[in-house]
Amino acid sequence: MDLPKLVMKNRLEELRLQNGWTQQELADRVEVSRQTIISLENGRYNPSILLAFRLARIFNSSIETIFIYTEENDNE
Amino acid sequence: MNNRTRWLLTKLRLGWAFLAAGAALALAGIIIGLEYDYLPYNFRVITALGILLIGIGISYLVRYWAAQKDEAAAQRAMVDEMDERTMAIRSRAGNRAYWVSAGLLYAGIMWAGFAANGSLPPLTGDTLWYYLAAALLIPFAVYIVSLIVEQHKM
Repeated sequence: MDLPKLVMKNRLEELRLQNGWTQQELADRVEVSRQTIISLENGRYNPSILLAFRLARIFNSSIETIFIYTEENDNE
Repeated sequence: MNNRTRWLLTKLRLGWAFLAAGAALALAGIIIGLEYDYLPYNFRVITALGILLIGIGISYLVRYWAAQKDEAAAQRAMVDEMDERTMAIRSRAGNRAYWVSAGLLYAGIMWAGFAANGSLPPLTGDTLWYYLAAALLIPFAVYIVSLIVEQHKM
């Protein structure tokens, strides 16, 4: 049996824009580089659990609200 | 003294240490090369290492000296250095370079083993020198290329 492919999507860009922050401002708040924020928003990089908690705290939200963990079947 | 200042001072000290060690090595290479030119050893290898260390030292000092005068630049330099994605990229590139280095050394050991029983020509003189230089430079090149590739991928 093939295991489903696990994919993590996120709402970072949406939440950042809701707060009116630039990528650099968000990067400064969570103490990462702007490039990391760009990669996170594009879904090319998955954050460490510590960074995920920091982002959740910055947005006054939970990790599950920001990062959405979904299963994708290959035949879909 | 806050964390950022302490971190900056450590980096500046490291820069000065690289610079001093590089200057000492470069000078030693030049002086020994001139004084003992009859020795069967090329002292330019030592001078080159010294020049490399001087370059690293200067790059540290230029980067962190400027950051020392600008709070925002200092904060950004520290964040860039400790950024988790950057560290992950370095880790992947380093891992790849390590395996290439281990492969090259293993190939060298195998060659020496076969050369000992006459199956292959021995690695001596210029061939050995070029092989060792390649074993040093190829993993470094792999590291740099991997950094660039991972920057685009991640």
